[in-house]
Amino acid sequence: MGEKLLEVKNLKKYFHTPKGLLHAVDDVSFSIEQGKTLGLVGESGCGKSTTGRVILRLLEATDGDIYYKGQKIRDLNSNEMRNLRKEIQIIFQDPFSSLDPRMTVSEIIEEPIRLHKLITNKNERFERVLELMELVGLSERLINTYPHELDGGRRQRIGIARALSLNTKFIVCDEPVSALDVSIQAQILNLMKELQAQLGLTYIFITHDLSVVNHFSDDIAVMYLGKIIEKASAEELFNNPIHPYTKALLSAIPRPTIDKKVKKIILKGEITSPINPECNCRFANRCNFTEEICKMKEPSLEEVISNHFVRCHLFKG
Amino acid sequence: MREKVEVINTDLKKKKEDLKKKAKKRSQIADVWKRLKKSPAAVIGIILIIIFILMAVFANYIADYQTDAIKMNVVNRLQSPNKDHWFGTDEFGRDIFARIVYGTRISLFVGLISVGIALTIGGTLGAIAGYYGGKIDNMIMRVLDVLLAIPTILLAITIVAALGASIMNLMIAVGISNIPGFARVVRASVLSVKDQEFIEAAKAIGARDHTIILKHVLPNSMAPIIVYATLKVATAIMATASLSFIGLGVAPPTPEWGSMLAGGRNYMRDSMHIVMFPGLAIVLTVLSLNLIGDGLRDALDPKLK
Amino acid sequence: MNNKVLEIENLRIQYVTDDGTVEAVNGINICIDKGKTLGLVGETGAGKTTTALSILRLIPHPPGKVVSGFIKLEGLNIMDLSEKEMEKIRGGEVSMIFQDPMTALNPVICVGDQIAEAIHIHQNVTQEQARQKAKEMLEMVGIPGARMEEYPHQFSGGMKQRVIIAIALSCSPKLLIADEPTTALDVTIQAQVLELMKELKEKFQMSMLMITHDLGVVAEVCDEVAIMYAGRIVEQGTLIEIFTNTKHPYTQGLFHSIPNIDDRKAKLIPIKGLMSDPYNLPKGCSFCNRCNYAMTICETQKPEKIEISDTHFVACHLYKDNLDFQLRQ
Repeated sequence: MGEKLLEVKNLKKYFHTPKGLLHAVDDVSFSIEQGKTLGLVGESGCGKSTTGRVILRLLEATDGDIYYKGQKIRDLNSNEMRNLRKEIQIIFQDPFSSLDPRMTVSEIIEEPIRLHKLITNKNERFERVLELMELVGLSERLINTYPHELDGGRRQRIGIARALSLNTKFIVCDEPVSALDVSIQAQILNLMKELQAQLGLTYIFITHDLSVVNHFSDDIAVMYLGKIIEKASAEELFNNPIHPYTKALLSAIPRPTIDKKVKKIILKGEITSPINPECNCRFANRCNFTEEICKMKEPSLEEVISNHFVRCHLFKG
Repeated sequence: MREKVEVINTDLKKKKEDLKKKAKKRSQIADVWKRLKKSPAAVIGIILIIIFILMAVFANYIADYQTDAIKMNVVNRLQSPNKDHWFGTDEFGRDIFARIVYGTRISLFVGLISVGIALTIGGTLGAIAGYYGGKIDNMIMRVLDVLLAIPTILLAITIVAALGASIMNLMIAVGISNIPGFARVVRASVLSVKDQEFIEAAKAIGARDHTIILKHVLPNSMAPIIVYATLKVATAIMATASLSFIGLGVAPPTPEWGSMLAGGRNYMRDSMHIVMFPGLAIVLTVLSLNLIGDGLRDALDPKLK
Repeated sequence: MNNKVLEIENLRIQYVTDDGTVEAVNGINICIDKGKTLGLVGETGAGKTTTALSILRLIPHPPGKVVSGFIKLEGLNIMDLSEKEMEKIRGGEVSMIFQDPMTALNPVICVGDQIAEAIHIHQNVTQEQARQKAKEMLEMVGIPGARMEEYPHQFSGGMKQRVIIAIALSCSPKLLIADEPTTALDVTIQAQVLELMKELKEKFQMSMLMITHDLGVVAEVCDEVAIMYAGRIVEQGTLIEIFTNTKHPYTQGLFHSIPNIDDRKAKLIPIKGLMSDPYNLPKGCSFCNRCNYAMTICETQKPEKIEISDTHFVACHLYKDNLDFQLRQ
């Protein structure tokens, strides 16, 4: 059992909207061990990206606690938080909008080092930029190019280099490959894995793509409408999915094979609105196994098998 | 053996030096200029405006202010264009060409300064409103909405009428009346940039608010602001001329295009040139600024690269 | 027997810009039989969408230009048609579904009217009949007819894509071009929409050109597959041939790049490098700088199309003298 690097307890983030209170993240708890990867999976609007941003305090949480190395992140003042940002970083989904179009590659990678005054000597800073570029596989002749002159894969490498430029220990990866082509996707995934092994990084990997998360994560938490509905080790979750939503999600992935066909579970309807949700199972209206109780009461997250948690009335203890 | 290593080391060093040299920021202005050159209309506008600027700067060498532009010479009044007076003379016998040349100084000066005033105050208010949003945004923008509800020229007239007619007051009046427009443009531009991911990325690496606004938000919202400012210099010149035309601008005998029009309008039937040339000067300046503005709008759009 | 709904022969399309000429599509041949689905697979910039747009003659001109080749719809060469005749074909004989359901609908017209409009333009019916038909179409794609009067913003992404499918099918087209129809949708919604498309294709006996980058989607809906790279088709065959008897190194690279969901320990083997600069394609095979099997000949000579079987073609020098060559696993 490794050391818990990050622990999230009962995290809540509500947004006020004209239509009511939007429960983007609703009572989410998990923890990640040093050097491991937690996959946060769900469809659009399930609150996975909001969770990532709340952890980094790019958004302020409504309620709950976030502990990083035992330190309560939400209690830090702005200077302490600024210090902590040297260790916790984020990689964004869209390599087209996450880089300032008016800065060159070297300026983008250098900016965090300069802001935190980690290296004050200009020449040394330049060496460090070259070192980082090499680390993420960017050719040094690109140092003066602007992001719009590069393709998506290279831009994402710039984003990774920027995230690594400080003493990074922990990275929130918000759909880092979903905007990329398949062949480039594989390159970036491999790079991120290598960097994890080399630098001992810890990741939260946010994605909607189950095949990517399976390949990448140690543990997986599946989210639906702001709640974690199933949580287990990657192996366990894929071999033995329990929640009806996880099962449907797994079967819905188009598989690039023709020999073994998996029977598809087609869900009815679409995700409901997270604004003022009712007190029932949030998946009840799409579930193929809905019972009376599902419409009455919200299920709690129960440990069904050792280290395998499920939020469903059908599976209790 | 050792020598070899040293050679390799110096090689490496040299390579790095080269890279560093190249690391000097490639000018984005050069890129914009390259694209601006492709538009013939913009090039015409630039040439025209350069001519006007040169005229304003070297007015002293072109004509003498005291003798040609100001001094009345009733004997020569209302002459048609001839070789002594290229644009003819006005009702007091003053050389119209000389007066237009000196008028350029006032027009460009008032245009630039008043837009400068509007851009500084309006831009700051707009940037604050756009970046922080919420209550601050509401407060700033509602106050400016009140200003915006009064037609620009009417507002300027009121201000000049209250402060008294002088070049200084003219600039202040035109400047103030343009503040709400600039605040709106800057705010809209900041709003569109502020929600992009690279701003969030800057927050994530621990950049402070002022760094983010100055280094990331403003440079990326410059394009529409530059275009708007260029176009607004043109309207400011028009406003100056209009105010002078109705007698609220520059005091006579100072040569100003608008007051030249006003003075000449009684003689328009017999001596067209009196109003034609100042009118032409206004039209050409405004036109060239508009052409440049339109050209810049396209040239500054990075998507067209 | 002429069952061919779509035939494209030796199509070449160029984009001429200030920076140079891009050969977006470079001599491709495609043929779709009645009721069949062809999957056109490739990455960004491979020329998939350009090919699709050329079938509707919607290539923006300038800068785009069809340099040579012809496109036949049921034997009719559309290159010779007038713009007026083309308008009849667009949305009538051939419809297209675009990738982004969020922007493909007009936000200020209610969805019922948008479907009815398409019907009214192409069929000789009254407004009333068109609206009636629109309602039927809407119900067919699984949206209650009562929602006809609603506006696009009242629908979710998956629902919008259903409306777009309803519009595309409202005039019973012979050929449906689907340009990444499910890329913007969530997995569970994607499954719903794919299921619906398969169902409707059967019902209408349509042919379909499915443009996608997702081999998983291909495996589910396509009968034949064409793999495109840098404006050329590098491999083409039936679904089974492409999936079980992969010949081209690029096709193999694509398969190896996809994480295998059933085997989480499997290592990803990405294709090395990046797609060549479209302004400056290599003289020989466009893929040679990324290929693990590249030989000297690949750098100088464009590979010819080689027939593996009646239906299976590959453009690769590896098979020139040795049809039985096997790619390393």
